Amino acid sequence: MKKSRNSVLVLGAGIAGIQASLDLAEMGVGVHLVEGTPTIGGRMPQLDKTFPTNDCSMCILSPKMSECVRHPLITLHIKSSLEKIEGAPGDFRCTVIERAKYVDPVKCVSCGLCEEKCPVKIDDVFDEGLRKTKAISRYFLQSIPSEYTINAGHCLYLTKGVCRLCEKVCPTGAINYGDMDREIELNVNAVILATGIDPYDPIGFGHFGYRRYSNVVTSLEFERMLSASGPLSGHVARASDGRAPENIAFIQCVGSRDISIDRNYCSSACCMFAIKQSIIAREHNRDLSATIFYMDIRAFGKDFDRYYEKAQEQYGVEFVRSKVAEVRELRNGNLELKYTFENGDIQHREFDMVVLSIGLQPRAGSRELSGKLDIGLNRFGFCRSDTFRPLNTTRDGVFVCGAMNGPKDNPESVVSASGAVAGAMEYLDAARYEPSAGGGGVPEKHVTGERPRIGVFVCHCGINIAGVVDVKDVAAYAAGLPNVEHAENVVYACSTDCLETIKSRVAEHDLNRVVVAACTPRTHEPLFRQTISEAGLNPYLFEMANIRDQCSWAHMDEPEQATSKSKDLVEMAVAKARGLTPLERLPIEIDPEALVIGGGLSGMSAALSIADAGHDVYLVERAEDLGGNMRDIFFNFDGSDPQEFLSGLIDRVLGHNRIKVWRKASIEDITGYVGNFRTKLTGESGELEELSHGAVVVATGGQEHETEEYQYGRSSRVVTQKEFERMLHDGSFPAGRLREVVMIQCVGSREEGRMYCSRICCSKAVKNALQLRKRKPRANIYFAVRDVRTYGFAEEHYSELRDSGALFFRYTPDSKPTAELIDPEDPHSRVRVTVLDPVLEKEVVIDADLLVLATAIDALPENLKLARMLKVPLNSDGMFLEAHVKLRPVDFATEGIFVCGLAHGPKDMSESLVQARAAAGRALTFLRKKSILAEGTIAEVRRERCSGCGYCQAVCAYSAIEVDPEEQVAVVNDALCKGCGACVASCRCGALDLRGFSNIQLYSVFNSLVRETAEGVVN
Amino acid sequence: MISGEEERMDAAGIPYMIRPGKGPEGSVLDLLGQLIGSGGADALLLPFRVPSGDSFAWIMFSDVSLLKDAVPFPATMPVQGGRALRSLTRKEKGKLRIIALMRPCEIRAGMELSKLGQVNTENLILASYDCPGAVKLEDYVADPVSCDSAHSEMRSRGEPSGNARSACSTCVDFSMVDADIHFGYFGIKDGGMLVLPGSPAGRALLEGLNLEEGRGLLPQWEAEISRLAERRAATREETFRETAERISGFDGMLATFSNCIGCHNCQSACPICYCRLCYFDSEVSRTDPEALITAAEKRGGISIPPDRIMFHTGRLAHMSLSCVSCGQCSDACPVSIPVADVFSFVAERTQRAFDYKSGRSDGEALPLRRFLKNELDGVHEMVKDAESEASPNE
Repeated sequence: MKKSRNSVLVLGAGIAGIQASLDLAEMGVGVHLVEGTPTIGGRMPQLDKTFPTNDCSMCILSPKMSECVRHPLITLHIKSSLEKIEGAPGDFRCTVIERAKYVDPVKCVSCGLCEEKCPVKIDDVFDEGLRKTKAISRYFLQSIPSEYTINAGHCLYLTKGVCRLCEKVCPTGAINYGDMDREIELNVNAVILATGIDPYDPIGFGHFGYRRYSNVVTSLEFERMLSASGPLSGHVARASDGRAPENIAFIQCVGSRDISIDRNYCSSACCMFAIKQSIIAREHNRDLSATIFYMDIRAFGKDFDRYYEKAQEQYGVEFVRSKVAEVRELRNGNLELKYTFENGDIQHREFDMVVLSIGLQPRAGSRELSGKLDIGLNRFGFCRSDTFRPLNTTRDGVFVCGAMNGPKDNPESVVSASGAVAGAMEYLDAARYEPSAGGGGVPEKHVTGERPRIGVFVCHCGINIAGVVDVKDVAAYAAGLPNVEHAENVVYACSTDCLETIKSRVAEHDLNRVVVAACTPRTHEPLFRQTISEAGLNPYLFEMANIRDQCSWAHMDEPEQATSKSKDLVEMAVAKARGLTPLERLPIEIDPEALVIGGGLSGMSAALSIADAGHDVYLVERAEDLGGNMRDIFFNFDGSDPQEFLSGLIDRVLGHNRIKVWRKASIEDITGYVGNFRTKLTGESGELEELSHGAVVVATGGQEHETEEYQYGRSSRVVTQKEFERMLHDGSFPAGRLREVVMIQCVGSREEGRMYCSRICCSKAVKNALQLRKRKPRANIYFAVRDVRTYGFAEEHYSELRDSGALFFRYTPDSKPTAELIDPEDPHSRVRVTVLDPVLEKEVVIDADLLVLATAIDALPENLKLARMLKVPLNSDGMFLEAHVKLRPVDFATEGIFVCGLAHGPKDMSESLVQARAAAGRALTFLRKKSILAEGTIAEVRRERCSGCGYCQAVCAYSAIEVDPEEQVAVVNDALCKGCGACVASCRCGALDLRGFSNIQLYSVFNSLVRETAEGVVN
Repeated sequence: MISGEEERMDAAGIPYMIRPGKGPEGSVLDLLGQLIGSGGADALLLPFRVPSGDSFAWIMFSDVSLLKDAVPFPATMPVQGGRALRSLTRKEKGKLRIIALMRPCEIRAGMELSKLGQVNTENLILASYDCPGAVKLEDYVADPVSCDSAHSEMRSRGEPSGNARSACSTCVDFSMVDADIHFGYFGIKDGGMLVLPGSPAGRALLEGLNLEEGRGLLPQWEAEISRLAERRAATREETFRETAERISGFDGMLATFSNCIGCHNCQSACPICYCRLCYFDSEVSRTDPEALITAAEKRGGISIPPDRIMFHTGRLAHMSLSCVSCGQCSDACPVSIPVADVFSFVAERTQRAFDYKSGRSDGEALPLRRFLKNELDGVHEMVKDAESEASPNE
């Protein structure tokens, strides 16, 4: 296999594609990121907030987008498509078509003049048609890359040969009407597909009146309405009369769980999406009432059930279990819903607005794509993958992640992306590499001790800034400030020629600090830092004043004030620059080995992925045998054999020359930090061993809840689903008749003390019930359920089970089923189960030959000890708490430690496998490097001032600062510190300082603005 | 007495009593001597009169013959006991098991310092007593003899008088606190005294002494404490009202602190200010001369030293959550600024915002070091209340 090139093509730049690209690039692998639209970001930028934390979607995504566009190893191909993959895995030849953009991205400075002048208005796709855009535009405000593109189908010049206005107004000559589609060929080792999903188009649902009634909207349209950056600026209004709706109905499962339209799968995310929207809508308008019409609320993810509870308790969202039959428009634009309850009752109710919770479906053109790329699809048109190869397509070397192979929410997409990367590693070169510090090799000038010589560059940004702020005046003001050697105006500070100007001015005036007054450091600081380091200055001798966002944008109607504020901001930046000092990013060596804690499915899979990538792995299992909970799983929906897979996995682990396994082992202590962990453990022999390793994967698993409910333990006929599965496998059913089988769901889950859904029990029970059907076709199967949460493709099997005659009774926590032993003396007694049938509205009594309990999944009590050793948090349920539930789902805030499997939360085998791969992939982003660079802007302790009170330690999210117990002085771990400054703010002794943001620097900034408090005035 | 304290007392053991005879001072010294003799502790930390006769100093000793010169209930508080505890246990628990007899506010300061990693209580036995208040240092230095008799009068009445510190007149935590042992004598006739264990360690020590059971004295003591507490609470409310008026708005702050000479004595005397070097004494916080001149040019003039309000509000920000309202700051101020009134007033509010009270058991976490899902609920209302209180006419 040829592995010389080391690059991967990623198709689709949504959150999954972005994550995959970033992970690969972090491992030193070149990435070609191919995206059809003019921007990266995918669906997430369209979302306002995200469940269950209500984080702003764009706020959490945009740092990843910026990182993606900046990374030197990632090449973006926007407005592009993948046409062909030829060759063999490890040596693919991909044909990509880059469509014409008609704007030269090198010249375009995103000033927006062209869009302003363009006469052609078209529907804005990003805003779901709720707003107009122009034929030359950015896809959305924060598009990345930010350059404009022309929509050739609407451009007057390209279609009719007239206009050329944009060309006339463009100050940089970036418009190029002669641009052509280009076919390029890319040689890559592997391909990762992440083309995502499309929202279901409910136009076919005539009875809900979408597009006919103006106040019926899709959930995605409603999301744009809720978004503060959306077309309505977050003020939800009805299209019919502009009135803010006071009561909104959400109709669930539009385009999901519907055999009639061949979509007999659950879209998995819409329940939470609707709950989130109802909460956000309520936050916008306290008087609003929201009603969700649903079949089952599928809040199966981590902390989802609490969010669902919160919607009911805190926000008064009403949940109505019923099926909406029809929506009718009334004269005033209101909508009347007709809906049926399970018992057949029909009701009518009026609403101001109706939101259709549309499902997720395969992307348009996915069949065509699958033909072109020779990959298989499942019967619904999603990319096909198997339970035990959940990230592989049917073609070797081509991986899949995100929602392309089945509906997923954000974190699952991110997890699958990191997992697919771990898969792709198989086809890549395993050599470790040394990341470069940047700087372009120019030797750094020594400036310490020199008098500050500051250069100030004030950007026009076309009219973006200069249209409001008198930039000439600002530059003149800057020139008069102390220590300013040079000040000038630049039209576009970020354009290539201006960057060259800055570099030559540094040389001409012997500048040792540079201030740019332009836009935001978030997007542009890295560029300017790079520029001054090319001019021989330490990159930290740079300061930025954001006179665009904070002056010309914020005060666009008050040019004078905007100008005066710009002067203040520039003066403050100069004051800060005066005190800037060169900072260094110190390298931290990384040990290449990994420690994996837990030898179940997740731990073993993670270990294999890391070991296959060429790293030694220490796998620690506390039990005598490997396999964990999977040892009790015997069936799978797709007919594959879990035990066969497991034994293959165990053989591979034990036979792997890079994996060392400890069984019956316990971990005594873990110290150190990313790249440099030290672990003490005792193995079977009882001998204490010490290991060094660079990363840790926590895969300790979970355990079945031990219930005392429903006569469990008092009769052999009351068993858990786990025991039942073994029974089905061994045929070890209780003696005698087996006609009446009752299954009770949510035993221990979703109630006080365990306010979470155990996620897998519904699917597991359905799976086992179907197995029972095969073995005992005449048995009657009864289910007592709260919500049936057979999300994703398990829905089909739920239908199959219902069609086979299984009966489902709904219960609530207040009306739980009861179980009595018919003969309490008999250890094999049959059980009398009483359950309230809400349809018949009476009690149903079943004398069960077997009662099967779907018991909850519990966190391991041992988690606490491990969490303390690793200094990582647990959630209130005792499960490991990841760094960010949406976008860092397998990382901890403390670097170099990762989590997967049941230790993180309940999940099935396939999901555990994906997450294990992801944890391995994330660990490899560190292990592949010989060293990493510590941040330059980190906290430092002035020992002589520290009193050792420990406030800093309490507030640090990264476990990067600790009080040395002997010296009574805080010590910063340079490798772990992220420079957030929380400890500095907490230190009343002034013993802590943030390099690059020192107290002295900040004080001089304040003083330049305020000078003196009012008390200083002498009357 | 709040029920929590009752529960603690139940856990800590039954109260003992000492019959009238030597009076509270003599009885306390006797008992401390016995404790050292019985091997319950290695050393004592007590106030002694200084040779010049006009102040007191903390002396640590183990020779019981020195006990006769100790002044268990000194009239003034020149060095806050919390500071003394810090000096002894700042780095570790210390080799000696020390019994320290202190005013309740001194013990509360010790508790706060313990939470801040500055005092280690592990080898300390803290003993408190019913405190009538401390006499102002200024008055005492001028006339120790008459101040001593005034203080003796305060002890017998259980109340601060004219030359007591303002902080003492408004103190409601003048009796039993989270100490290991408490000596209660307010309201007990003829110089009898209660000896109350406050912790298992205190109980263990007292059990070895063969003391008389004193439950019978409890009712009269408790009744007197709550009567006195009510009276002091009333004074406190009145003082808070005056303070609120005085410091309202920037002008109010300016007026209150306008005669500050920037000596930072308040900070040096404060038991809670634990920094090795105060931020406000550091170069960082000093205004650049150039900036002062520019400011003077802009405004037509400037007062020196600058940043006085910054210093005091800075200290409030740093310390008000732990402020035990001992009054050291006011006592240390050479220009008689009512620093303690301001600090007590602000401290009461910031502590209320976090549902926290300084000086309680050192097992309780400081609010800023504890992260809760819902914090500062209702703080908006508090701010609104404060605003409407401060400017009732608007």
